[in-house]
Amino acid sequence: MHFKVQAACATLLPRFWPGIPRACGGPGLALIIESVSKSMTAGVRRSVFAAAVAAALVGGCASGDTGAAEVWDPIETPNRFVFAINRTVDMIAVRPLAVMYRDGVPEPAQKSVRNLLDNLGEPVTAINEVFQGDPSRAATTMARFLVNSTLGLAGLFDVATMFGMQRTKTDAGQTIGMWAGKGVEPENGGFYLMLPLAGPSNARDATGLMVDYAIDPFQILPIALNVDWFYYSAPRYALNVVDYRSRTMFALDDLEKNSVDYYAALRSAYTQNRAELIRSKREKADTRSELERRDNLALVR
Amino acid sequence: MPLLACRRFVLGLAAGVAAAVVTVPVLAADPGQLIQSTATDAIDIIKKTTPGPARQAAIQRVLQTSFDLPYMGQTALGVNWNKATEAERARFLKAAESAEARAYSERFGQYGGQTLTVGKVTPRANGLFIVDSQLSQTSGQPVKLQWEVRDAGRGLRITDVKVEGVSMIMTRRSDFNSYIQSHGGMVEPLITELESRAAR
Repeated sequence: MHFKVQAACATLLPRFWPGIPRACGGPGLALIIESVSKSMTAGVRRSVFAAAVAAALVGGCASGDTGAAEVWDPIETPNRFVFAINRTVDMIAVRPLAVMYRDGVPEPAQKSVRNLLDNLGEPVTAINEVFQGDPSRAATTMARFLVNSTLGLAGLFDVATMFGMQRTKTDAGQTIGMWAGKGVEPENGGFYLMLPLAGPSNARDATGLMVDYAIDPFQILPIALNVDWFYYSAPRYALNVVDYRSRTMFALDDLEKNSVDYYAALRSAYTQNRAELIRSKREKADTRSELERRDNLALVR
Repeated sequence: MPLLACRRFVLGLAAGVAAAVVTVPVLAADPGQLIQSTATDAIDIIKKTTPGPARQAAIQRVLQTSFDLPYMGQTALGVNWNKATEAERARFLKAAESAEARAYSERFGQYGGQTLTVGKVTPRANGLFIVDSQLSQTSGQPVKLQWEVRDAGRGLRITDVKVEGVSMIMTRRSDFNSYIQSHGGMVEPLITELESRAAR
């Protein structure tokens, strides 16, 4: 049984969640990394397939979409189950750690950690910006990456912003959302999905997460160079989690405290926020504005 | 003109002018101005009070004068509004109002130097105004706030706030609807829950 679980982790985890602390333990790790490096092309092929499947799912529920409808959540029961586990882990481990980080670590150090993580993410953003049809934006992002990696001491300092190159952040979920068929509202990201540890997502954004993982040079390189997971991926992931959790603390605490059904409130807020990001990238004529969708509220009132 | 009548006329005029001046902020002709004055009021309250009943009461007054609470409540309940009786609707509005006032009074512990800059005002065909604004903080990125303002016969009132694309009303709507669905499609348990939270 134990072996089975480990095997499942080996096949699933590396592609789904970049560098998640793998509960399945030490001896399996070398195996995982080896198998990933060998099957990189297969992995990419599979990701493309998954993207196609997600696109079909996203497109499949486009009709009759009024702004009044709730988020499509066909697997609500398992999602709520995962959400309950996530909240427990958060309460016991992640949130206290994030509070200590927020209150105990000096502000400049926190800023540098954020800059470092942001800098590692720039190549993925640049690739996505190319695929979003914005090569000049991608060039700026790459310039930022080069400047910050050198003058900014491996990304610890955001020198590029001082030079007037503003940071942008995008991901493959937004790229898919942008190129979804005409009339597919950005609110429609396929079925809603609660990922273990990673939190709220949907078919579109989870696919995007896999794609981002597959194209990230800073995930491919350590594998190619045989860098031990323990020295690179794990610290990067851990820092990402703590940094992200400390920044979302205020908003999430507020949402939790002021909602009667936290799961539903978070589902709605996540969907709206992602839609806003995607809508700002899409052609105006391609989708109705959020307000036009909401004009339909009058029909069901 | 007899002196008395003249004085009455002048007094009347003064009262009229005073009334006009007092009601101007409420009946602001310009949606941007409404947002600006509401933000100024809110910042003033946060500066002068600490979290507690006094601040909550002050915030509640701002909600009552600048926001269209019945309309917001109706939108937040959605289809369930029609299911509710008149008494339930009134109780729901009252409970939701104090819940929001409480949330806002606790949201900002102390004034942290935030300023609100009102931007573009976009009128829409159905009599709605969208007001863009930015909340600048002393540290960190500015927050994008979008306000929905409409005039439903009582002057311009705020009907929704969107923070980084997340609408307060739409989030409440999902939240409330899910709660109602998991409690047998009844509005009553939601009202009871909101009331017990307000009493806490």
